[in-house]
Amino acid sequence: MSERKRERAVKLNVINQPKDSYTGGPSSLCPGCGHDQISNVIISAAWENGVEPHRIAKMSGIGCSSKTPAYYLGQSHGFNTVHGRMPSVTTGAYAINKDLLYLGVSGDGDSASIGIGQLIHAIRRNMNMVYVLENNGVYGLTKGQYSATADVGSKKRKGPANEIQPIDLCALAINLGCTFVARSFSGSRRQLTSILRAAMSHKGFALVDVISPCVTFNNNDESMRSYGYVKDNEVTLHMTDYIPHFDPMEEVEVPEGHFRDITLHDGSTIRLETISEEHDPSDSMAALSALHEAETNKKHVTGLLYFDANKPSLAEDLDLVDTPLLDLGDDEIRPSKDSLDALNAEFFS
Amino acid sequence: MDAIVNDFTLNIATANGTGSQSANLILLDSLFEMGVPVSGKNLFPSNISGLPTWYILRLSDNGYQAPGDRTHIQILVNPATWEEDLDALEPGSVVVWNSDTKNKTVEREDIVSYPVPMTSLARKINPKLAKLVTNIIYVGVVAELLSIDQKCLEDAVSKQFKGKTSAIELNIQALQSGRDYCSENLTKSDPFIVEKRDKTSAQFFIEGNEAVALGSIYGGCQMLAWYPITPSSSIAEGIIAYIPRLRTDEDGKTNLAVIQAEDELAAAGMVIGAGWAGGRGMTATSGPGISLMQEFIGLAYFAEVPSVFWDVNRVGPSTGLPTRTQQSDIAMLYEGSHGDTQHIVLIPGTVEECFEFGWVAFDCAERFQTPIFGLSDLDLGMNKWACNGFEYPDKPMDRGKVVREKDVFEAFETFGRYLDVDGDGIPYRTLPGSGMDPILYRGTGHNPMGVYSEKPDDYHNLMARLKMKIENSRDLLPEPLMREEEDADIGVIYLGSMENSIQEIDDILLGMGHKVNQCRIRALPFHSKVEEFIRRHKTTVVLEINRDGQMYGILRREIPNDIVTKVHSVAYSDGLPPRARIYANLIDEKLKEVEH
Repeated sequence: MSERKRERAVKLNVINQPKDSYTGGPSSLCPGCGHDQISNVIISAAWENGVEPHRIAKMSGIGCSSKTPAYYLGQSHGFNTVHGRMPSVTTGAYAINKDLLYLGVSGDGDSASIGIGQLIHAIRRNMNMVYVLENNGVYGLTKGQYSATADVGSKKRKGPANEIQPIDLCALAINLGCTFVARSFSGSRRQLTSILRAAMSHKGFALVDVISPCVTFNNNDESMRSYGYVKDNEVTLHMTDYIPHFDPMEEVEVPEGHFRDITLHDGSTIRLETISEEHDPSDSMAALSALHEAETNKKHVTGLLYFDANKPSLAEDLDLVDTPLLDLGDDEIRPSKDSLDALNAEFFS
Repeated sequence: MDAIVNDFTLNIATANGTGSQSANLILLDSLFEMGVPVSGKNLFPSNISGLPTWYILRLSDNGYQAPGDRTHIQILVNPATWEEDLDALEPGSVVVWNSDTKNKTVEREDIVSYPVPMTSLARKINPKLAKLVTNIIYVGVVAELLSIDQKCLEDAVSKQFKGKTSAIELNIQALQSGRDYCSENLTKSDPFIVEKRDKTSAQFFIEGNEAVALGSIYGGCQMLAWYPITPSSSIAEGIIAYIPRLRTDEDGKTNLAVIQAEDELAAAGMVIGAGWAGGRGMTATSGPGISLMQEFIGLAYFAEVPSVFWDVNRVGPSTGLPTRTQQSDIAMLYEGSHGDTQHIVLIPGTVEECFEFGWVAFDCAERFQTPIFGLSDLDLGMNKWACNGFEYPDKPMDRGKVVREKDVFEAFETFGRYLDVDGDGIPYRTLPGSGMDPILYRGTGHNPMGVYSEKPDDYHNLMARLKMKIENSRDLLPEPLMREEEDADIGVIYLGSMENSIQEIDDILLGMGHKVNQCRIRALPFHSKVEEFIRRHKTTVVLEINRDGQMYGILRREIPNDIVTKVHSVAYSDGLPPRARIYANLIDEKLKEVEH
């Protein structure tokens, strides 16, 4: 009897799956790594959204962050590709099977240096994917060199402070017309969960830049990406709640102050609750100035920075048949003998 | 003076971007229409407009398609190369030259000179288009001098300007003007003429790249990712051009995705992504692109992802001579990427094979779960070759060992992505989205279950299985083609576009007293019949268009020790399509060296 009771007690999501269906193998990252917190949020977000676990494709490049697909969504196929080139592999897979949810995970070395070109072009194509950037300002696997996102004046555990201007990938993405740009913090579980859930409901390129402290090389007090620093210097644009299309009642308390509901492509909503001044995510100038102001003040601004539902995604641009190409029969992808006979006849004439 | 019929070479010297290409194709096509065996080669610069370009037309009743030893008729239109072209002519050659060219004349006494005021004649017809029309004027003059059939000429014009009435009228008028000038002002004093021949079989002209494009479409290509590069772009553009007709439904939707990538690295990544997802993906590039793709090629080999890469070889190293031809990517393709690798390379030598290997490449990729390379070259890819027609694939698609159904999957006692169930080195795979055996594909070391592993045995066994898998492909790939007679004890092994020069080389060698047999390698790793061919001959020469004898190097390493000393290398490249005489002389020298 106790056995049965325990079974019943397991909470199921909208497609009757327990959360266990979304977990992965044990992590081999350093204990306390921000990336592991993000992995947990990915598990929660996918489970709460009721995505079929095997319909997700986990994509990554090379680096600490890119190892994490082994630690979540064990029922999904994945591809740990080469350094900085996950977007292109994802694009090719997408052309063949556009019905999967492509969940890419990358780091700041992978995305801001070697892979910045592929990131830019995936954004430019509005490739339909969630791109989680686990951003800690240092290279971990090669033991603590600065990355291209390290803040000016920030100092890692060893060596001098960084003096080179960082690349703000959110600002870059907004300038490129990225259709979903958010920044969050691995320590802000609630905000990150709703942003990730919203990103999964978006059709187009969703960049989620997550500040994720490196506990081994970059978590000292002088670092601007340490847990302590980010906690004390996070400027939150708005409280975020995600209201799924399949369960509008999942809604949290109606906020007292002003709020803005943004409808996502699958009918779900992300609710942005104003904290101080209202941020309009359709205003790219406002988003850029929020980023700029935070940088000037040595702060980290988080929330949904920019959103655009109206731009066609790669799927529309490719003009593909409705059925994913994977599911077409061989006779559909090889033209008939008659068609070749006709071609030959024309050539001969 | 005895007439020389259908056996001479024309060289047309113009400037790039002046519209001479269409004039030259009209000339080529009209000769082809007359049934005269003819081949045309475009020697063009890496330039949009202004630099010198030459078009070489070889007429040969023997069917020789290589550029000949010498020029018999020189058309001089380009002042920039005037002296150079003139000086290169042997006594007795013919020059048709534009006498309106400032400060240029032809003063050689030992050649036949036909001055034609091409620019003035062109201006009379259309002053605005004089530059373009000039080209058609020389076609008219040449047509009159050589007795080219007017009907064939007009047909060729109509073909070139498909339905554009005003362009057709203008060109026919210009042709007539050239002809009239010639008959009224020039006296034929050279021996060269053309005569109609019965076409023995129906043929048409087509470029190798267009044939690869069509072959790929009939191979069920589902995704093309490409980055423009000479001389491969026309493969991608060919596919794009045929998609509306061959791969689009009534709603205008296609089942062949085309993505112009940001660079060759991304193109390679997309091909691998497509293969991983279970589709047929390809790219087309040239040597510099393959250099950039190296890392991804290793991933596809190690993670065992079906993928197709076409390399239309141009002259390297580095940027090299982007518009010239070579067979110099053989070694790079065969052993692409860092670490121990070995790749399947398909090497067409004719336009028919370009089509065939276009679809075969996909079957091989999915059968062997590995990158497949198609190796063409600029000569084969960008010049027009006579084609006997394309044959429809004679077998259904081979989709390889993909487990698509749950019950099939469950019938496996143990399923491991890299488990060699059948003992042929080829494991079974499941696809993303299927929910069956979900694994994380990786370029890192892995065990048969697809799980990360650094264990010595796992690594060693994996590499041994990959070796076996590719070794097993040898006799399943396109066989070498042999032309043999019993009394010849010299063998010549060659590949690719050398097919178009080999018969002439063979005939020249025969004239020198060497009777040789031919063996054209059509795939790597090479077939066991190649070893047998070497064994059957006292001496074998490996003939290739490069400096280092790359195919020779591969053969030498892989054939048994006891026959290594029978094999010799003849490799030569200057960027131009292979001229038979040069290679025949080199083979002759090599054979003399071996006998000593």
